[in-house]
Amino acid sequence: MRKTMLVLIILLTSASLSANGFVTQFIHKYSEEGRPLNNVNIGKTMLDKMAANTEDEELKNAFKELKSIRIISSENAKDSRYYFEKANDLVKEEFGDYEEMVSVNERNSRISVWMKRGDKNVQELILISLDEENHLSIITVSGKIDFKTFSKLSGTLKNEPALTEDLPENK
Amino acid sequence: MAAKNDGYIDILLERYWSCETTLSEEQELRDFFSQSNLPAAWQPYAPLFAYTREEQSVSLSEGFDERLKKAMEKEKAGNKEYITIRIFAPLLRVAASLLLIVGLGISIFFITRQNNNPWFVETYDDPNAAIKDATYALEKLSHALQTTEEASLETIRVIDDLDIDWSALDSLMAEDEELTADSLAATAQEKKDTLHIGTFISNNKKEKEI
Repeated sequence: MRKTMLVLIILLTSASLSANGFVTQFIHKYSEEGRPLNNVNIGKTMLDKMAANTEDEELKNAFKELKSIRIISSENAKDSRYYFEKANDLVKEEFGDYEEMVSVNERNSRISVWMKRGDKNVQELILISLDEENHLSIITVSGKIDFKTFSKLSGTLKNEPALTEDLPENK
Repeated sequence: MAAKNDGYIDILLERYWSCETTLSEEQELRDFFSQSNLPAAWQPYAPLFAYTREEQSVSLSEGFDERLKKAMEKEKAGNKEYITIRIFAPLLRVAASLLLIVGLGISIFFITRQNNNPWFVETYDDPNAAIKDATYALEKLSHALQTTEEASLETIRVIDDLDIDWSALDSLMAEDEELTADSLAATAQEKKDTLHIGTFISNNKKEKEI
């Protein structure tokens, strides 16, 4: 009985670790003190507040439908390349239920987007990108993801008054 | 008689206090002290013997035996139940373990299903600060989607620039399909003919033998 309980506790712990998602696992597995990473977590409550504060309808709806956004970033070129490879390895090894949706390999930038489809309202997406300046961005988004709206957002976001300064890109 | 009785009762009382009286002697004492015209000297003892007499008259109520029997049977039945539980105790343990495993399994299932739950600490308290990072994430995603869209469009444009005569290609493909269909039909016919010839030769041979 005690053994069974122990096995179950281990299973529960591993399940909960897996449930923590890509960002948690990535930090847990690969984060090194010598290679600092920035981590930003935005949950449902904050997304709802943001939706209430936003004037743009499309952005408002996009925020409302999402459950979380988590970002890992690095501005060091060497670390970024290292973490970029590790992130791609992790998604292939441990997140087999994700499908590669988009993969762009340009001369100066690389992007891969992975997606797991749950039910209609819960989709999970992992974006791993290394931009022209060799800056790493790992972004996980969960919730109802409307790609038509998302692909149009680029122009909308640039017009948002709150975003004219201090975007992580511009830091 | 009273004097004689007095002496006799004195003796009986003496024996009673020394616990030496027989049952019949005690009965005599009870009878004596139950008299209504008891001499004043004996009056103090009357309540004692009256009490003893009353207590002796207490008897079991009607149906006592039956009720006792029923109670005993019930207790016996209770013991049987206990024995049944003891017999099934190992099975009950297994059932409890299974229930626990199933319960935990269901919990794990729901936890893993709801892995969209934000099991992390929110970075921001202020939505205005959070919106910058959130929109940065969406911007990145939007950029990735647009890049893919552009790449697909570019591929289509390159193919267009090749100035391919699609109608000619289509007709070539149609011809090719026709040819393939014809050759397949011809092959099938050939095989069929061969089979017919084979059957004809074997039939001829059989006729000749006969």
